[in-house]
Parts: sequence; C-alpha cells; structure tokens
Amino acid sequence: MANVLIDGLKERISNAIKMNQSIGVVLPGNNYSDLTQAIFERIHSSPEEAWVYVTVTKPYENLTRQFQYLSTDKNIKFIDCISRAAGISKEGTNVIYIESPTMLEKLGLEIMNNFKDLDPNADKFLVIDSLSNLIIYNDPVIVTEFFYHLINKTRARDIHTISLAIEEEGMSQHINRLIYLNDKILKVRDSFI
Amino acid sequence: MQKEESLMDDDKGLCITGIEELDIQLGGGIPTGSTVLVVGSSGSGKTTLCMQYLINGAKKGERGVFFTITEPLFKLTKNMEGFDFYDKKLIESGMVNLIDLRIISERLGLDTEKYTVEDASALLDILRDIAEELNVKRLIIDSITALCYRLQTPEMIRDFIFKLGSSLAAMKCTTLLTSEVPPREFKYSQYGIEEFISDGIFFLGDVERKGDLIRTFQLVKMRGANHSRVKSAMSISSKNGIELAPLLKSS
Repeated sequence: MANVLIDGLKERISNAIKMNQSIGVVLPGNNYSDLTQAIFERIHSSPEEAWVYVTVTKPYENLTRQFQYLSTDKNIKFIDCISRAAGISKEGTNVIYIESPTMLEKLGLEIMNNFKDLDPNADKFLVIDSLSNLIIYNDPVIVTEFFYHLINKTRARDIHTISLAIEEEGMSQHINRLIYLNDKILKVRDSFI
Repeated sequence: MQKEESLMDDDKGLCITGIEELDIQLGGGIPTGSTVLVVGSSGSGKTTLCMQYLINGAKKGERGVFFTITEPLFKLTKNMEGFDFYDKKLIESGMVNLIDLRIISERLGLDTEKYTVEDASALLDILRDIAEELNVKRLIIDSITALCYRLQTPEMIRDFIFKLGSSLAAMKCTTLLTSEVPPREFKYSQYGIEEFISDGIFFLGDVERKGDLIRTFQLVKMRGANHSRVKSAMSISSKNGIELAPLLKSS
C-alpha cells in the first residue's frame, strides 16, 4: 500500500513539475514521510537533473541516515536551516548549513549559489521543506515577502520549485496566501491517488 | 601575466569592485579616481570588503596597495587566508602590496601619537610616492580614523584627506578609506569631517531580527553615479566573500 502511495506521489509530482514552474504541496502531517520519500526517490532516479533541497523540518544528518544514497548523489545540494540552531552539524560534501532559519536573505543567496555549483545545463529544481516550518521561526509577513522574492527569482532563472505546507486544522491565512503563490497546488490524501 | 580585460571600464570611467550586487547598485562600478569612505563598527566587514575589492582588481591586472594602521600585517594575512578570494600569489607577485603605515611613520621619524603639519605633509608625500611608483590603481587605508586620530585639528584632517584624494584621483587611483564608528550609531566618522570630503560612503551596519544580527550594507553616497540607496543584507562567507541581497522589509 505504501509503495502504491509513494509511486503515485512520484508520478503526480513529476507530471506537475513538467507542466508548471512552481507547485505547492499541501499534505497532512502523517503523509510527510511518504512525500519526502517520493521526492528523494525521484531525485535519486534522475541524475541528469539538478536539485537544491532546503530543509527546515529534519536535519540533514537525519535525512541521509534514512536515505543513505542522498549523501553521495551528485545531483542534489542540501541547505540545512535547523541543525546549527540545534547545535548539530554533520559535515557533508553536499550540504551547507545556515546558522538560523531567521536568516532568510542568507538562505536566498545560498539557494542561488548552490545552483551555480550544479550542472548549468541540467533542469533545475528547488524544494522548500517546508513553508509551515519557516513560519514557526519567522513572522509570517516576512516569510511571505521572502517567498515572493524567491518565486520571482526562480521564475526568472527557470528553476522549478516545490513548496511543502503541512496541513493543520484550520490552515492559517498566511500558509494559504503562500501556497497559492504557486502555479499549481497538489493536495495529498492517503487515498488521493 | 596574460593580458586580460581590465576591470576598469575606461569607456565609462568606472572601477568595478567585482562584488556583483554592489556593482549593480553603483550603476556599474565606482567612478574612477573616487575616494570612498567604508563606514562600520567593529566586525562589520570593512577590512574584508576592502581586501576583496583589492584582490578582485589585482586578478584583472590592476595593482593595489593596502595600508594598514589598525592591524599588524601577519594578523591581516592570517585572517584573509580563510577566504577563497584571497590569493597569496598576488601578494608575492606585487600585484597586491600590504604595507604597515606605522612602520613607515617610524622610519620617517614621525611621532606615533600626534602629527605636526610637517609630519602630515611628509606622510602624504610618501603615500603619493608609493602609489605613483607602484602605479597603483586601487588603494586602501585601514583605517582613516586611526590616521585622523594623529592629526591634531579638524583643519588638518580636512586638508590631509582632500590632498590625498586629489593626488590619487589624478593617478586614476580609486581609494577606499575605512572609518570606525560605534555600533548602532548613525554616524559616518569619528571626527565628522571625512564624509564631506569623500566622494562616496558605504555604510556597513546590522539589524536585529529575533535576537539574530543580520549584517547590512547601504550605499549612502556616490558622486557621479546613479546609485541605489536600498539597504541590503550582507553575507560574509569563506567561499564567496562579501555578497549582498535585498533586505526583507518586514523586519
């Protein structure tokens, strides 16, 4: 059942990013692991693509422990926004750490810098995991401003973005505003496929 | 050395810093021959910015000199070695010259505490001579505050900076002078004179966001340039040196 869900998510995301510059994925908390697995399996199976994965949810160390191939895949760069603030930092060749999730300008710079290190001819993809967690650490208004800037930059540079938002009861107006900046919204349900 | 296109855009008369976003804000670069005050408190990134400007120029064939008063040379080089933009070969080849101004003052027999008019004139002559002899196109004094401390009157300060700026402008040498100010105070110099003589002012500050300090950069003034006055966030990293990004306004 889990494989069907993950395969379904992979297909859905792949189709969405083919046709849209930016997609927002709204998902319940209990589907978070499935979605991230689907994204990482897609990254792993597409070495010709260039990916930057911004994590504000799980530390890089945790992600690479769970998906060991991630630490050696050459087509992905991680930007870890939470480990340093928590006093953790596992060195890796494909990760850079931001001191704090409040350093949004620095995050924006490092996203663009990381794409410079990847194959310039490859199709480029950016994952923001997640908008909900960025709002935990920052005022929602500043996250909105940051996301506006980022979406405009990525559109200008032909970078496809995937932004995750964890669905809670009564999703805040801020998350709604953010997620609807994307070209396409996907809502994940256990049975959505 | 392979002849490469100079960073100095002769057609437009601009000295390109090599810091991408800064050059955009300047409208292409610093007008050649200008004297720019780089203002900031301790740890704001003045020395790093100046050194990166110098090294970027040297990489494109423009010789530069860094006069230090505040930091011994061994410490300066040790601190800069951590940056990817720093190239020791440029120092060894003489494209970048690091000179301790205190040693020069001693050799000239100048009082280390306070300069007389004659002392200031002698120092000015030696700075000009060095710049001319080395055919320098980029010059740094770090810091002008420490130098002005030794000049006894506001008139001497004004006269010194004016004459220095004029001489270097005639050599088409673009100069950065670092100016130390207390943190969180909106002033451009200790003596309230330097900013009026300078052609440009770069202000390095910081803003607090949720307890974190975010470095900022603002182009306050640049004569002869259609420049931006937007406040930017400034990042300093060993890999990329100084980088600027628009500061989020909802801070």
